[in-house]
Amino acid sequence: MEFTFGEYFPYVHHPARVPQGLAEGVEGRRHTVAIVGGGPTGLALALGLANYGVASVVLEADDTVCSGSRAGAFTRRTLEIFERLGIIDEVMRSGHGWSTGWTYYRDKEVFRLEMPNDANQKHPPAISHLQNYIEHVMAGRADEGGLAEVRWQSEVTGLSQAPRVVRLDVATPAGNYSLDADWVVACDGARSNVRSLMGLRMQGTRYEGRYVIIDVRVDTEGMPVGRRCWFDPPSMPGGTLLMYKKPNGMLRFDYQIGEDEDEEVAMRKENVFAAVDAHLRMLGIERKWEPVWMSLYRASALTLESYIHGRVLFAGDAAHLIPIFGVRGMNSAIDDTHNLAWKLAFAAKGIAGPALLDSYSAERVHAARENQRFAMKGAEFMSPPSKPFRLMRDAVLSLSEKHPWFTSLMNPRQHSAIPLTQSALNAFPERSAQFEAGPAPGNILPECPLIADGKATHLTSLLGPQFTAFLFTEAGELPRGLTEAVAALCARAPLELRVISKADDHTGRLFPLYGAQPGTFYLVRPDGHVCARWLSAEPAELTAAVARILEPQVPSTA
Amino acid sequence: MTPQELDDVYTKLGYALTDVGEKDTPLVLARLALLLMQKVGDAAAISLAIDAALEGYRPK
Repeated sequence: MEFTFGEYFPYVHHPARVPQGLAEGVEGRRHTVAIVGGGPTGLALALGLANYGVASVVLEADDTVCSGSRAGAFTRRTLEIFERLGIIDEVMRSGHGWSTGWTYYRDKEVFRLEMPNDANQKHPPAISHLQNYIEHVMAGRADEGGLAEVRWQSEVTGLSQAPRVVRLDVATPAGNYSLDADWVVACDGARSNVRSLMGLRMQGTRYEGRYVIIDVRVDTEGMPVGRRCWFDPPSMPGGTLLMYKKPNGMLRFDYQIGEDEDEEVAMRKENVFAAVDAHLRMLGIERKWEPVWMSLYRASALTLESYIHGRVLFAGDAAHLIPIFGVRGMNSAIDDTHNLAWKLAFAAKGIAGPALLDSYSAERVHAARENQRFAMKGAEFMSPPSKPFRLMRDAVLSLSEKHPWFTSLMNPRQHSAIPLTQSALNAFPERSAQFEAGPAPGNILPECPLIADGKATHLTSLLGPQFTAFLFTEAGELPRGLTEAVAALCARAPLELRVISKADDHTGRLFPLYGAQPGTFYLVRPDGHVCARWLSAEPAELTAAVARILEPQVPSTA
Repeated sequence: MTPQELDDVYTKLGYALTDVGEKDTPLVLARLALLLMQKVGDAAAISLAIDAALEGYRPK
């Protein structure tokens, strides 16, 4: 159930188009990658692939961005990926950074969430934004780049696989056609057409709690940015309500409806508007507001068993549904695309064998299950799954003001990158075990400022569409054999060696953060996960670690 | 804790819950359980106590 009252900002509406040069209804040009779905997942993947010089066609059923804003909080890991996709400046310019959340029981603040933030960080822990505005920015970037072609009003109605090729049937108001692609990636959301066409089903749990979600336009001047959550507020006795400030003068409300409440009645405009009015009045806010979009939400934790089926891959909501608590939906979808883009690009260009794509499925199925596990904890606190569970939850709430010890149970466990510590792509664990600090294989890089190429920057800003090898040195000295090993590897796969001297570590925090001494060496995947590290560089093992990624043993689990 | 002290706190709780009334007794007992978890401070011991409390009451 969903109502759209207006546009969040003026959308660009695109015409339908049928490509030139059809032969018996089939597009003459064969595509390397066809992406089904032009939401945030599909567009992020297209931009990611373009970074590796891989062209893609994106088939989007609608004529513009999604009408509801949906995702509203984007975490630091996502911002790091947005930087790589070339959209960070516009996203930061138009969004609100935040790091604090407030939880209230009745009218008392009982818990304050402070998201991890320190002087090492380049990006805030989270920003508040509109999903559809980010889609708008991504689509604009795709048009500029030229490698990602978005075809609007193009619905996929059929799919068949032959050896080494996938055929898609596409329906548009301007006519129907088919196209062939080496790879297809389904990014077409929770109600994925591709998933149904292939007869695949997600498995998992559906939760009881139902939530009304409404975005309203109001003057938000002076309101704090960040998650605000009320249990049993005076405006809604017995209820649970979230309020969240968004850019463009928008407020998001999510509130739970009662177990016995009828959905149709709960979603009547007059009832929803009255709930918003009551809460604003409770906060002493007397401002005119207008509704923009509202929807009914019920949490599900579902996933496909595998995200690769022949030459068809799945990402984002088409692959998994994660309860909204902890903002792990779109954030994990963006992480999916970041994990997939380099692997698909390497497979498409023949740099790696197709087995590398199996690691995408293993790693991201693992990540989906971890995200679901964390989100479930949030869901269980927000909407306890039984009456006795609710009794315990209420006991925690009623104790929390005087006994802050219990408030850790209220932590919404916001999204961060899921460590891939069991990934088949990780190498030389015995070398990693010798470190006393720093990210072990499978983890992403902790942020830290440093000097590179004579300029102050941050470590994650040095990552690009290639493997990155960080060599920590006293003053730039290279271990024997490393230059030769790196040169030989560069002929096989894109790799950049970054030599960091003690002088580059101008804050003195980088070496200790990475447990590094002169000679220490980290090998980092194109998606920013560490795959191996050596206290003292071993050029022969570096070669073996990269070879292992390009020709992985088929992994069983992440 | 001596047997006499145990008798005292047991009786205190019984009378107090009687005053609170049947409706709010579950919530007060839940609060008490949580506060005792904090006091005990030993997850394994608490987990064993939960199992002991469930003895004879687990769904068949």
